[in-house]
This record gives sequence, C-alpha cells and structure tokens, in this order.
Amino acid sequence: MDATGLIAVGAGLAVGLAAIGTGLAQGRIGSAGVGAVAEKREMLGLVILLIAIPETMVILGFAVAAMVLLLGGGLGG
Amino acid sequence: MKLRMTCVQIVGLKTHLMPVVHVLHQLGCVQIDDIAEAGDVSARPLHLDPETVRTQEELGYLVARIEGLLSTLDAGRIEPGAPIADQAAGERAISDCVAEARAGLDTLGPVVQSLASRREALEAEQASLPRYEAVLRKLLPIVPPSARDAANISIGVLVSRGHLGVLDAIAERVLNLTGGRAEIAAEDVDATMRAMLIVIPREFSGEVEALLGREDISRLRLPAGFADQPPDAAVAALSRRIAAIPLELSQIKTELASLAEKWAPRLARWRASLRDCLEEFAILSRLGETDQTFVLVGWTPERDVPGVRRALRDEVGPAVVMQTLSLAPADRSARAPVALANPGPARPFQSLVRVFALPRYEGIDPTLLMALCLPLFFGMILGDIGYGALLFLLCLALLRRFRQPGALRDLVQILMMGSAWAVVFGFLYGEAFGTLGEQLGLHPIWIDRTSADQVAGLLLFTVAVGAAHVTLGLVLGVWEAFRERSRHLLLERGGMLVGLIGLFLIVSVAVKWLPDGFMTPGAVVLIVGIALLGSSLGWLGLLMGPIEFIGLVGNILSYLRIAAIGLASVYLARVANELAGSLGNIVVGVIVAVLIHALNLALGAFSPTIHSLRLHYVEFFRKFYEGGGRPFEPFGRKT
Repeated sequence: MDATGLIAVGAGLAVGLAAIGTGLAQGRIGSAGVGAVAEKREMLGLVILLIAIPETMVILGFAVAAMVLLLGGGLGG
Repeated sequence: MKLRMTCVQIVGLKTHLMPVVHVLHQLGCVQIDDIAEAGDVSARPLHLDPETVRTQEELGYLVARIEGLLSTLDAGRIEPGAPIADQAAGERAISDCVAEARAGLDTLGPVVQSLASRREALEAEQASLPRYEAVLRKLLPIVPPSARDAANISIGVLVSRGHLGVLDAIAERVLNLTGGRAEIAAEDVDATMRAMLIVIPREFSGEVEALLGREDISRLRLPAGFADQPPDAAVAALSRRIAAIPLELSQIKTELASLAEKWAPRLARWRASLRDCLEEFAILSRLGETDQTFVLVGWTPERDVPGVRRALRDEVGPAVVMQTLSLAPADRSARAPVALANPGPARPFQSLVRVFALPRYEGIDPTLLMALCLPLFFGMILGDIGYGALLFLLCLALLRRFRQPGALRDLVQILMMGSAWAVVFGFLYGEAFGTLGEQLGLHPIWIDRTSADQVAGLLLFTVAVGAAHVTLGLVLGVWEAFRERSRHLLLERGGMLVGLIGLFLIVSVAVKWLPDGFMTPGAVVLIVGIALLGSSLGWLGLLMGPIEFIGLVGNILSYLRIAAIGLASVYLARVANELAGSLGNIVVGVIVAVLIHALNLALGAFSPTIHSLRLHYVEFFRKFYEGGGRPFEPFGRKT
C-alpha cells in the first residue's frame, strides 16, 4: 500500500474509532435519557442536548483526520 | 435583558385585606413572598379565621363540582366569558358568585346526574345483553315444549367444558329430586362453556335452587324483566331491548348536548371566577399580620410600581400604604426574582436560556448574544439556498398554525431566523440543494465546500469563529468575576483569557501573520495564563492548570463541527444529485433525489439546531454564565 493509502486509512481510523467511542457514550446517555423523559416530559430538551455532548469526540477525530489528510496531502490523491 | 425589580411592602387594616388581595390578583404583576422568609419584617404569619377556611373549602368543593359537570357535559375545554369577579371588587362579588354558582349547580346537578346515571346503565346493558342473547339463542333449538307451560319454570346452568361430568351428576340428582318430572337439555355455548336448561314444575324450584347453590353451580341469571319469561320470549325481548338502546343513548346525548350548550359557558365562567377567588384565599397563608393590620411583602417590576400604587389608592383607598423596601445588594441579589424581557426578535431565545438555567438577578442575561450567534451558526452549518428557503417557508406555515405563544412557536421562530441565515450562507458557499445550484449556474462567492482545496480554509474559519466566541465568553466571564469581586473566578477566567492571547500570538507567528519576534512574548503570556489558571485551583493547579487549558483549546476545536456537519450535509445532497443522474430513468431519478433531499432537509433542520445549542450551552455559557435565578411568578390571573 502506498503512502496515500495509509494516510486515508489513518484518517478513516481517526474518525471511525472516535465515532465508536461517541456511539457508546451516546447509547448510555440515550438510554438513561429516555428513562428520564418517561418520568418527566419537560426533560426532553435537556436530554437531546446531553446526547449531543459526546459528539465532541468524533469532532476531534474529524479534526485529526482533516489534519492527516491536509498535511499529508491525502486529499489531492 | 432582565426587568429591574422593586421589593414592596403593603400594609393596611385587616378590613382591607381581601380588597387589596383582589386588586393585586387583577393586576397580576406582584410576586408575593412568604412573610416567614422576609426576615426584615416584624409581623407574624397571618392566622386564617374559621369563616375564611370554611369559605375556602366551599370554593374548592364548588370548583370540583363544576369540573365534574363540565366533564360529564364533555365541555371541559370551553372558553369562559369574563369572570364574574370582574364586575366588582371585594367580598360582595365573591359571595354573589358563590351564591349564583351554588344555585346553578343545585338546578343543573340532579338533571345531569340523572342523565349520566341513565347513560351508564344503558351502556352496561348494551355491553351485557348481547351475551345473554347469544347464550339463549344457542339453547333455543333444544328448549323442550314444556318450557312454555306456565306451571313450569326454566333454570339455565353454565359449566366450564373442563367439568362436563358435573352436568351429568346434576341432571341425575334433579331427576331424582323431582321424581322424573324434569326435562333437561344441554348445548355448547362456545369453545369453553356448555349450558344446560332444566325445566321443572314450579313447586320444585326451591329445592332445585338449593341443590344448585350447594353444588356451587353458576346460574344463567337473566336481568330483571327477562327472567320470568320462557326462553324464546326472553330472546325476543332481549333483541327488542338491544335494538332500542342506541336510540335511548342518542336521546340522552342530545339532551346532554343541549344542556351543555345552555350551561357550559356559564359553568366555565363560574369556574374561572371561583378559581380566581381560591387563588386569592390561597395566597393569604404567605401574608403576615399584627393585631390590627396585615402585612404583605413582594416584588414587582420597577416600571409597574406607580401602577400598583395608583390601583391600590383608587380601588381600596388611601388607608392602604405601599412602600418600597431598600435591601442590601447581597440580600437583593439573593431574593429578587428574575423576569427576562428582551426585544421582540430575541424573545424566542429566552425559552432556550430557561432550558439551561434562568440567569441570576445580578448576572448576565445571554439571550441577546444567543439571538445573534445561534441563527448565524445554524446558517453556517446548513448554508444552502434551497434547503434554507424551504425551511423558511415551512416555518412560515407552522407559525400560522401555532399562534399561541409557547416553546413550540419559539422554536419555529428560531428555526426561521436560522434558515434565513442558511440562504445567505448558501449564496456565499454557492449551494442550492447541494451541487444542484452549481449545475444551474450558481457560483460560490466565498468558499466552495465541495472543493477539496478549500476545505482547509473552511476548517480554519470555523476554528476562528470558535476562538472569537470562546474569547467573548471569557471576556464576559472576567467582567462578571470582577463585578462579583470573586478572586477565584477572576484568576480562573483571566488565566484562560491571558493564556488564550498567548496561544493566538504563537499561532499567528506560526502562520506568518506576525514576525518571529512575537514568539517569545507569546510563549511567556501563555505560561503566565496557565500559571494564573493553575493558581485558581490551589496546589492541584500545577497539574490541573495545563489540563484545563487543553480543555479550553478543545472547546475552540469543538467549533469544527460547524464545518463537519455542514460537509456531511453537502455530500449527502451531492449523493442525491449524482445518484439521481446515474439511474438512467428520469422519474425514478427524481423520486430518489427528492427522498434523499427530504432526509437531508430533516437532518438539516435538526442537527444544526442541536449543535448550535450545544456550542452555546457547553462551550460559550460555561465561560461566564451562572444560572440559578428565581423565576418571577406574579400572583394573579394567568393571561
């Protein structure tokens, strides 16, 4: 595999692994959040927000992937 | 922005108590505090006399009766007219209202009660009679002719098919008891039950009934009016009755509807008036008293003070004294309730601020800043003329539907502002339904998000937006800490701000915006900032200071989501356009494109809203905002 391929794999791993972490966190927050909303309907807004919080991880993964691609020249092929 | 609040104390003779409470209830702009919590007022909590308690209980009882009647009349949501208590202030209006409501309820109550009972009985009959009819119809073919003989009676017995042996035993004992003068027939009623009909001379009825009772056999007992007839006559009577019930129910429904038309507005008006009275009585427990006077302490917006004073003077008289209390700043800050009052376009954002936390009375209200930045972030993320215009039109239609103020209407208004910005950024990005605009001749004015060469610029732009937003939050935080004279907060927020300035200098040198000579000052400023931040955290600061600062940088990088989510939306739109073009069939292509664009539009309305909100709540607010304000809940009619 040439360097461009490895750059692409690295970028994919950066986003993919971060997305798995985000998904695991969102799953736990989501299940607890649904329980909270079932008890108290007005918690819905707060719960949606709490679910969005772990997305920072995937955003940082995206930042790393973007850096890998931009600095490594993976975008141009 | 928040309304300035004034603490007021109202004192008057006890004879003026209810008129004063009534005036305040009508005004609806004074929040009444519990006298026990107003430490600087020398009055004991008001003791309610037995007559007041009795009136309060009667009002509660009347309201409950009215609600019961409205529910029976199926008119619980009817709009009341003007409450009766508006006609005149004071106790006379209350007693008139109570007397009128009581008389009305005494007239209407028995009529409605009787109709409701009749309806209930008919509905019970409607549910049970078909079951009797079905069982009897099953038995009819096997009914012996002797059943029609007036000298005989028929007894029905039901047994589970799991105990069929019992039927044979019963039949044998009945035959023995009557000396063979009984006729017995059995038939399956359904998959689980079998029925048996026993026809015996009347003189044996007592003994056979006793036998069935001893053996705990369930009898098929027809309702009164059908029991004494032979089975075939009973079936005919049941059929006639079943056919007649819907007509009777319909008559009752018509009568109730006619009563509702005549009485419901009046009932709703009484309910509103009596509820007002109840609220007026309920608030008395918060008041204080001396031997001759009552004392009331509360809060009202500064702008309403002259109006309250004038209303009390005009409606009650000069004997009631209202004075404003000047509290110590700390006491005022802790006790004053918070009422947000922002200009029209920013008002919908108050709901979003409340979802997070109501600001403290002396704290910063971030509503205006949110109104400025949140739609802008939304527009930056969505950035598409087609999606923006469609969302805008959808929001316009929804606003026509949701006319009542509320969280839903606020959300639609916010979405509408965001979609207007999305159209603006759509021109800047040159996007209409993704790449479709480009194919129709639209060109980006600023950044082409679909071009790999320009993605870096977009990412840098969003980080710059994040840096500006977070810096603004820190500046506000430093100002807030300075106002509160909080050394800890000043060190923490000031340290972050100084460190951030150092980081900006270093980055500027790295990208050649500043000469190399700024590198050393930048590094020094960064270290000073981290040291200040660490010093706010005590001896752990040596370790936690740098970690907190890295967290701050993470906050800025978090704004990359503006680019990331926007790019995801662009590429989904591109997939829709290119997939449609590659299908080879224009109809299928259009259908596929419309479906994917619809999905993208739904995501485009939801995702940017959530992420813009998150950027405010998590990245921005945490730099300066401290909620925990007490909401302003004025005593009075909720209009």
